[in-house]
Amino acid sequence: MAQVSDNARDDALSRRALLRRGAALGLGLPSVAALLEACGSSSSGGGTPKSSIAGTAVMSNYPNWMGAHVVADFERLHPGSKIRQITSASSSIAGTVQQLKSGNYDFALADASATGQAVAVGIVAPLDWSKIPNIKFVSQSFRSGFPHGIPTDYGKVGIGYRPDIVGEKISSWHDVWRLAPKFSGKVVFIDIDRDCMGSTLKYLGHSGNSTVPSQLNACKDALVKIKPHLQAFLNTNVGQGLRDGSTVIAMDWDYDVAFNKQKQPKIEWVFPSEGMVAYIEGWIAVKSSHHFPLVESFMNFALEPRQYADFVNTTGTAYVEPAATAFVAKSIAGNPVLRPGHAIANVEYEHFLGQATALWTNVWQEVKAA
Amino acid sequence: MTAASATHGRIAASPRRFVRRHRVLERLLVAPTAAWTLLFFVAPLVLITVFSFGSENLVLFRISFGWTASNYSAFGGSLYLGTLLRSLGLSLGTTLGCALLGLPLAYFITRQRPGIQRLLLAAVIVPFWTSFLVRTYSWVNLLQSQGPIDRLAYGLTGHHFEVLYTPTSIAIGIVYSYLPLMVLPIYVALERVNPDLYDAAADLGARPWRQFRRVVLPLARPGLIAGIIIVGVPAMGEYVIPEILGGGKTLMIGNIIVNEFLDVGNYPFGSALAVSLMVVLMILLFALRRVQPALEAR
Repeated sequence: MAQVSDNARDDALSRRALLRRGAALGLGLPSVAALLEACGSSSSGGGTPKSSIAGTAVMSNYPNWMGAHVVADFERLHPGSKIRQITSASSSIAGTVQQLKSGNYDFALADASATGQAVAVGIVAPLDWSKIPNIKFVSQSFRSGFPHGIPTDYGKVGIGYRPDIVGEKISSWHDVWRLAPKFSGKVVFIDIDRDCMGSTLKYLGHSGNSTVPSQLNACKDALVKIKPHLQAFLNTNVGQGLRDGSTVIAMDWDYDVAFNKQKQPKIEWVFPSEGMVAYIEGWIAVKSSHHFPLVESFMNFALEPRQYADFVNTTGTAYVEPAATAFVAKSIAGNPVLRPGHAIANVEYEHFLGQATALWTNVWQEVKAA
Repeated sequence: MTAASATHGRIAASPRRFVRRHRVLERLLVAPTAAWTLLFFVAPLVLITVFSFGSENLVLFRISFGWTASNYSAFGGSLYLGTLLRSLGLSLGTTLGCALLGLPLAYFITRQRPGIQRLLLAAVIVPFWTSFLVRTYSWVNLLQSQGPIDRLAYGLTGHHFEVLYTPTSIAIGIVYSYLPLMVLPIYVALERVNPDLYDAAADLGARPWRQFRRVVLPLARPGLIAGIIIVGVPAMGEYVIPEILGGGKTLMIGNIIVNEFLDVGNYPFGSALAVSLMVVLMILLFALRRVQPALEAR
């Protein structure tokens, strides 16, 4: 059920957000007081005159998936404006599109797949980029991966494991499949089709966005083969078992491994040699909105490096704005799990699959039923 | 008309007016319930049936009602039939588990003094005042490797009891969650039984097991049948417990239906699955209804 909070935090958690909140709490957040000084300055200004920035824009968002001070600072800068967050964002494509079709939202958090579907349905408004000049701070690769809105964060799917228990170095998805029988019942995979099947396709040497039926069948076979050795498919607290060794190998998101590694330094993160898939999320404007100037102005404000750093420091996510690095907590900016350096070239971003979405669903259900 | 006949007419008319007024009152009293049922039960049922014969463009999320039966023919595939059978098996198993635990428990409660009975009934019900999700998630902690149950089992037997994320943990979760729904109707059935019957059976030489089998069980049968229906039907469509305690490895028909509605957005196919499940359950209930009199008469 949707929960309304006017910039307030609440405890409703989506699947990914549950993890994210844990990660945010664990990543050692720095004081944001220093950021406040710079917030609300004229550096945030875009091409929209201040006078037209008024009214209330409603956003569909994950719980706590906003910089701690971003909204308050924006509202202070633009008296008469209000950003109202409804923490109901869905991590499913259909859920996101149905929400946006309701006409209750002006803008929303969505991943690239859901955004692609929403664009196909015709409910996403094109943005006036002249009103969002701060988009220049976002890396081009993320802009390309999320072309219909402003990218805010991404999450890579790699491997977390316990080298002290496994006894050898894991460097690839192939190693996971090879070692699974040896550590039967102590291997965990992600319970989201795009992430799990995408990673399996990488293991098989295919695109993580493949729509080729024969490749998807091979993906199914590979997952069915490893399934008896899996402890579980999980969508929350995926890597938690790595801490006490009840899980020794996990297909997991970067932020979750980074979070658990703080609790258990023996956990190691692997950029699999075959490559990784990653989701990109961002904000999109809804066509039915009557507050585009306000929405675009807020998007521009949130992309201002100090404001964006506030978002990163609050959530602990891997970030898309190199320009914000100076303001991002060292525990995040210096974290090799979250900032992969050259390994980012080996990441394939998930995108909308079109007609093949149904095919993916069928394969996923067959894996689960096997 | 004479005065006498006029009086007789008034007297004759009064009951008719009374009956008419009574009927109007009856209808007024029934109206809210009828409206509620019509709006929130019959209408959605009709809607879901209509949807089940439609088709959807999954890219544009546009539904068209061409009255196709293709959604139902897909249900015949091994994926869905296999999942349905798995759900049926788990539902039967957990219903049996609830009955095996619920019957002796309900009997035990009815054999206590009234004050103790109230206390024990409260003990059955009170845990269910807390959130269903919280109670289900608590089983993750209880059943996990190195958790309290695993440690206890290892201490007692030298063997680990690692069942989390298996069909066994789903069964445990369902039995735990639905047990009160079995205990309460059986308790109601047994609570009405004259305790002298048990004494009479004992006086006639029936040992406790024979007493239970020949006296308690037949008298508990109406409650037991009610409990089987109340537990079995929702257990068949259960999807939250398999999701949490099954570790995503055991697919139930309820999970597929939820997936079709919330994740895929294929309302027509989700509706067809829901209607099919409903039909299967109705057939089972109808069969149970047919054998119920024979069972109760035994």
